[in-house]
Amino acid sequence: MTDERILEVKHLCKFFYAGKHSAPMKAVNDVSFHINRGETLGLVGESGCGKTTTGRTVIRLYQPTSGEVWFNGKRIDGKLNAEEARAVTSKMQMVFQDPVASLNPRMTVEEIICEGVKINNLYPSREERRKQMYRMLDMVGLTREHATRYPHEFSGGQRQRICIARALITQPDMIIADEPISALDVSIQAQILNILSDLRKELGLTILFIAHDLSVVKYFSNRVAVMNAGRIVELSSSREIYDAPMHDYTKSLLSAIPVPDPRVEKKRKRISYDRRQDYGPDDHPQLREVRPEHFVLMSDSEWEAYQKA
Amino acid sequence: MSENMTRRLTAEDTAFVQTDDKIYDQKFEGKPIGFFRDAWMRFKQNKASVVAAIIILFIVLMAIFAPMFAPYGYREQHTSFGILPPRIPELEKLGICDGSKIIEIQASKLGEYEECLMEVLEEYTWVYRNKEIPMLRIKINQYIYKGAGDYYFWFGTDNIGRDLWVRLWRGTRISLLIGFCSVLINCLIGVVYGSISGYYGGRVDMIMQRIIEIIGGVPFLVMSILFVMFMGAGVTSFILVLILTGWIGMSRMIRAQFYRYKDYEYVLASRTMGAKDRTLIFRHILPNAIGPIITQATFAVPSAIFSESFLSYLGLGIQAPEPSIGVLLAEGQGFLTTDPHLTLFPALVISLLMLAFNLFGNGLRDAFDPRMRGQ
Ligand SMILES: Nc1ncnc2c1ncn2[C@@H]1O[C@H](COP(=O)(O)OP(=O)(O)O)[C@@H](O)[C@H]1O
Ligand SMILES: [Mg+2]
Repeated sequence: MTDERILEVKHLCKFFYAGKHSAPMKAVNDVSFHINRGETLGLVGESGCGKTTTGRTVIRLYQPTSGEVWFNGKRIDGKLNAEEARAVTSKMQMVFQDPVASLNPRMTVEEIICEGVKINNLYPSREERRKQMYRMLDMVGLTREHATRYPHEFSGGQRQRICIARALITQPDMIIADEPISALDVSIQAQILNILSDLRKELGLTILFIAHDLSVVKYFSNRVAVMNAGRIVELSSSREIYDAPMHDYTKSLLSAIPVPDPRVEKKRKRISYDRRQDYGPDDHPQLREVRPEHFVLMSDSEWEAYQKA
Repeated sequence: MSENMTRRLTAEDTAFVQTDDKIYDQKFEGKPIGFFRDAWMRFKQNKASVVAAIIILFIVLMAIFAPMFAPYGYREQHTSFGILPPRIPELEKLGICDGSKIIEIQASKLGEYEECLMEVLEEYTWVYRNKEIPMLRIKINQYIYKGAGDYYFWFGTDNIGRDLWVRLWRGTRISLLIGFCSVLINCLIGVVYGSISGYYGGRVDMIMQRIIEIIGGVPFLVMSILFVMFMGAGVTSFILVLILTGWIGMSRMIRAQFYRYKDYEYVLASRTMGAKDRTLIFRHILPNAIGPIITQATFAVPSAIFSESFLSYLGLGIQAPEPSIGVLLAEGQGFLTTDPHLTLFPALVISLLMLAFNLFGNGLRDAFDPRMRGQ
């Protein structure tokens, strides 16, 4: 891991407008973070807090309402020419949540995996492409015979591995994994995480790992960003987040993790978090560095109160 | 441990597990099954639609080849042989389709029918102004009576002596032609229009849908009368009418498919890899609609044929001497009580076509149903 920032997101906003007159849905609201090369950043939060929207805006599926996205030192939000676009389409890849919906049922595994390579024209010869595809299949634990098959013959875990192979074949610098295991059977989840973890080590991948559950992110990420209602409320190393959570929402999330010990589990208390009103225009909510490399979202008044305490 | 204590997780609580497990995937048995093979396997199981498909095939083949090999032309008139009943060689020996006709005559006139008399069915008396007139109900061979003893009109003739067999198949040919052509063009227009409307959405979609509502608002009958008025009746103006109204359903269906699939994750995945609109539309979204397109087109064929017959019956469609099923039905209707065969055969063919296309369409719908995939 180096300190070189592979991805930098600055004040990113994505609002959805349902109608001309109704208030916009602020799915992502003034989100800033960065990821260093080789690092894994976990993005956690309950369903509907805007994690998917963040990931999709970063990878250019959505046009941001405002804010900037920098990738490999280049700004990638907004219009790009073909050359610049290729730098994103081949070097940043995404693994989606639903392994059933992420594979085209009309295409064979080979066609699916090779699609990105073909579009970006990475290995012009068919032989080379196929060789590369076999390597990818091998890397995610599938065999060559699987290449001619259609997705409906595979189980959820196998499908997700195909998705990983598809993401990896273009030799990306960064992968956005949007809840890659939450649609899977519990017994398969560990398998997928282990594959991702091994690949991360072997290939030095940078991962933006999205999950709704802190326990998964915990051992998978170097740093964790906790998101609530479109904003990042706390951002720190994963050890800090677990050992010394600061924000009420983070504490509430942590209290929701079941403990594998019945005596403790019985007494486990959920800390409830009442979702407050969004900040007003004069509150200036910002991530404030409360400890080195530990940021918490606070308004001006909260920050003052905290500094006094 | 106190009651209200919450337990803090430590980093040691979470760790990788099963890291040494070898991933074990079974090899698949059998061959990979593609989309159409899969659909075909399911279609085969539905016996009714297989039979329907065979019936359709049979009627299509007859429509193509029967007029070519018929001994008479479709507009060839045998004026003295008007309204002959069906007569088919070989079958006539069994007493069916033997060119016979049952008539009632005065017994004294029996002499006129001496040559062609086949059977006396009944003798009775008719009381007319207190006079008793002996009457006979007899079965005669109409062919011999009209001096057409060497002729075999398989389905009989119409009132100006044209062979119904050749006219019926030629009419079927035209009805099918109109059905297939209009449906094919409708599909093309509907797919293109619906794709654009559904893929781009937003303002483009809004405008395109309003246009559809305007066109769709004009009643079919009004539209056909306008076309016939300005272009004259005929196959082309007819197909035009069907096209102008028929593509709307198809385009709506395609648009719905686009709305449903354009945010599907595999479409998004392809987009993140830089796929162009063309690839997304034709490779990823449209193929989902192949099943519904084929099914809807199959259901559209009989309804186009039916519209054609209906308009021809009203006299707005195909014009004489060219036959179509609707024209034949309209012609036969005048003789329904005396010579029902003129209506019976066209009615049979169109009913069979309707039924077969609908059964066939049902079978296709089930075969292409994505929920049934892999079963
Ligand atoms: N295309 C869209 N149009 C309108 N609202 C959307 C759209 N996508 C997401 N949203 C809304 O934005 C919010 C965040 O959604 P999402 O990013 O999917 O949450 P998460 O992935 O954290 O569960 C949700 O309330 C959702 O309803
Ligand atoms: Mg999500």
